[in-house]
Amino acid sequence: MMKQLCRLMTAMLPVLACLALMAGTTEGLAQEVGVPAASAPVAAAPEAPAAAVPAPPKIDTGDTTWVLVSTALVLAMTAPGLALFYGGMVRGKNALGTIMQSFIILCLISVQWVLWGYSLAFGPDKGHVIGGLEWLGLNGVGLEPNADYAATIPHQAFMIFQMMFAVITPALITGAFAERMKFSSFLVFTLLWSTLIYDPLAHWVWAVGGWVRNMGALDFAGGTVVHISSGASALACAIVLRKRLGYGKEHMMPHNLPMTVLGASLLWFGWFGFNAGSAVASGALATSAFVVTHVATATAALAWMAVEWIYRGKPTVLGAASGAVAGLVAITPASGFVGPMPAVIIGLVAGVVCYLAVLWKAKCGYDDALDVVGIHGVGGIWGALATGLFASKAINAAGADGLFYGNPAQFGIQAMTVLISVGFAFVGTFVILKLVGTMMPLCVKEEEERMGLDLSQHDERAYS
Amino acid sequence: MTDPNNERDCTSRHVGCHRMVALTIAAVMLGALVLGAGSVVIAQDSSAIAGGAAPVLKVDTGDTAWVLMSSALVLAMTMPGLALFYGGLVRSKNILGTIMHSLIILCLVSLIWIFFGYSLAFGPDKGGLIGGLDWIGLSGVGSDPHPVYGPTIPHQVFMLFQLMFAAITPALITGAFAERMRFSALLLFAALWSVVIYAPVAHWIWGGGWLGKMGALDFAGGAVVHISSGVSALVCAIVLGKRKGYGTDYMAPHNLPFTLLGTGLLWFGWFGFNAGSALGANGLAGSAFLATHAAGATGALVWMCTEWMHRGKPTVLGVASGAVAGLATVTPGAGYVGPMSAIAIGAFAGVLCYFAVVWKGRMGYDDSLDVVGIHGVGGVFGILATGLFASKAVNAAGADGLFYGNAAQLGIQAVMVVAVAAFSVVGTWLILKVVDASVGLRVSPEDESTGLDLSQHDERAYS
Repeated sequence: MMKQLCRLMTAMLPVLACLALMAGTTEGLAQEVGVPAASAPVAAAPEAPAAAVPAPPKIDTGDTTWVLVSTALVLAMTAPGLALFYGGMVRGKNALGTIMQSFIILCLISVQWVLWGYSLAFGPDKGHVIGGLEWLGLNGVGLEPNADYAATIPHQAFMIFQMMFAVITPALITGAFAERMKFSSFLVFTLLWSTLIYDPLAHWVWAVGGWVRNMGALDFAGGTVVHISSGASALACAIVLRKRLGYGKEHMMPHNLPMTVLGASLLWFGWFGFNAGSAVASGALATSAFVVTHVATATAALAWMAVEWIYRGKPTVLGAASGAVAGLVAITPASGFVGPMPAVIIGLVAGVVCYLAVLWKAKCGYDDALDVVGIHGVGGIWGALATGLFASKAINAAGADGLFYGNPAQFGIQAMTVLISVGFAFVGTFVILKLVGTMMPLCVKEEEERMGLDLSQHDERAYS
Repeated sequence: MTDPNNERDCTSRHVGCHRMVALTIAAVMLGALVLGAGSVVIAQDSSAIAGGAAPVLKVDTGDTAWVLMSSALVLAMTMPGLALFYGGLVRSKNILGTIMHSLIILCLVSLIWIFFGYSLAFGPDKGGLIGGLDWIGLSGVGSDPHPVYGPTIPHQVFMLFQLMFAAITPALITGAFAERMRFSALLLFAALWSVVIYAPVAHWIWGGGWLGKMGALDFAGGAVVHISSGVSALVCAIVLGKRKGYGTDYMAPHNLPFTLLGTGLLWFGWFGFNAGSALGANGLAGSAFLATHAAGATGALVWMCTEWMHRGKPTVLGVASGAVAGLATVTPGAGYVGPMSAIAIGAFAGVLCYFAVVWKGRMGYDDSLDVVGIHGVGGVFGILATGLFASKAVNAAGADGLFYGNAAQLGIQAVMVVAVAAFSVVGTWLILKVVDASVGLRVSPEDESTGLDLSQHDERAYS
């Protein structure tokens, strides 16, 4: 019975996609005609007088190069970065299952984003809560810049850069339910989560007209949209899904730590695209974001190592790698608004606080297998609040001053943003999981879990 | 297997000293917190003022994008590139310890660089020897271009790009004392080395110091990065002594695919290292990119052929080492030589470095992962080759070498080799003595048998 339902659901995925694709292509046709016409200089010329008084946006090759490269860097964060980071931390029998989750999310959400995700998140605002369906199937998202989002790069460059963010966010959550979630349920969950949680949240915080953005919230590269949302959702997942068999009794050591360090390094490498690319241009702001990203990361890794050394007696490699990721997470929302010295402080606190959060997890009893809550949730919250403390208009005139620069109101706004995103992501994920749970089992059967996801879900072995 | 009691004894004996280092790090970071909090306003104010004052130099978006990307590429050389290159070459009980060296040096040197390293290396010149402290805490290093250090990119981009160089150089040395250095000693050594050796050498050649004024040519760090690390590696190998069982036990690399992955990432990142050193997306960057690739490919092929003839089989490790040798050797000349010269440089690198590594076996010092043979010998030859092959036709801002009618250039390059090598030998030797006296350089023999992963970090790489 369950099996049939489950098969039905999985079969529905491509059907759903095809339906949407058909809807998309009809509109896409119009766009294909529109794009060359718009980009051809001859056709653009008569349009110019009709346009508003400011000169029509012009594509800058340097800016476009930087955003395209940044897009590729963020892709490298999901696969192979995150896939190997998580893949090394699970047991050998689950390595492929864990890698597969990141890899298939990359594929699934890329298609979702093109078909309807981008339109829901960044499309013309509807009542400050969601984007309209005008940009379905990338209709109207062409090669001309969209001055609302990035005036010097093609609109499609902005779209694909944002796509990589939409991809990595659900992939981050997979660490919470590692080693036990059923592959088909996971696919359905991911598709629903992206559409119902990520797309609205991205609209609220980043899109023109979004209500959180209108409130004056600062989130440069996704502290709330990416990290708080994935961290809070990870908590919901860890609570709703049962613990792994033998959790707390058996040894569940990472099976390949060098692989995890490789993943962490690629995350670091890709994060430069994530944060500095979020300037959506090449220049002073991108530089500043790049510098503070690196500084906060280095500091957080050292801080985690030092705390662990003092507290436990040995500095571990997994600790240094986790500290680096915690620093990257925490600096994300602040990266375009703070200078290098505040970045040191943000990294320092992130290393200590996230370390304590991971320790504290053990006392709470939920099985957040790869510490998504402790690192992305807690780190994201700290980063969002820290932005309200350290932001400075001297760094980014388009931003705002924080508490330490005489504007306590900004801290209040950031705290509100945290509450909104935690509440929305946690409750929304809880409901989605319950919904999926009524249709199909969320976890694999016990004997399948013992066998490992690689064999039970994918019929392969990672090593032989 | 070691006796667990033994291991515990050993741990408790050293735990005081280990924790002392941890506490020191914590204290330094708290100090940084205070310093940071204090200089928040200053640093930002100064960048704001700079923002208003000098509008002469204009930031170019393409140049900035390229140097930002190059900085990320050079980061990838250290982590994960070098970490995996070295990590695969050690025995499996030491892989995490080896990776941790690169990882933590990257973090530590990044902070040192921001707080005062950059100022010492590139700050306003003091007597040709060292930079002043004017740029401490990046004060005055803002978003406006510096007239000398990349006139079309924000000054902070140049600082950041140089930061990645400062981080990889001490990480290269770690191959010389792999599998036996105590972790706390490594931290202390790396911090001291980057301040006492790297910053002055970088200043002499790139920061307006005496070698630069003399006309020494080092495009992307043949002397600053490779000679300094290679020569220091030799001193480390001699002072630390051999690994337990060196020459008698089997010490084959435990995971060569990791090493090859590391090699690939080094090669990939080296395009940022060399072509990024043009500080712009221009013809010079293109030329340096090509020279880098040509020398890397030639180095790999020539090493393979030499080994095939000399030993009977072409090894995969040999090809990887040859590529790194070619890349290291072309580094100083990358922006001054044409593609044919680069091929000649790569070919010599493949042969010379191969024999340097073979010859190591006879000398009896334990340079575990061949830093001396590849970076030292490659760096020295690369600097001299720049004095032979450099041509103003490739880079008008450079000079002609011996083969283009300017014999003096080779003399200047030789002076640079001697100066940097001598300074590195003496400085590294002193630093090692200081570290040995304070925390002790080597792990205990029991810890060495257990492996660094368990003894230093209490974890296993594979389970």
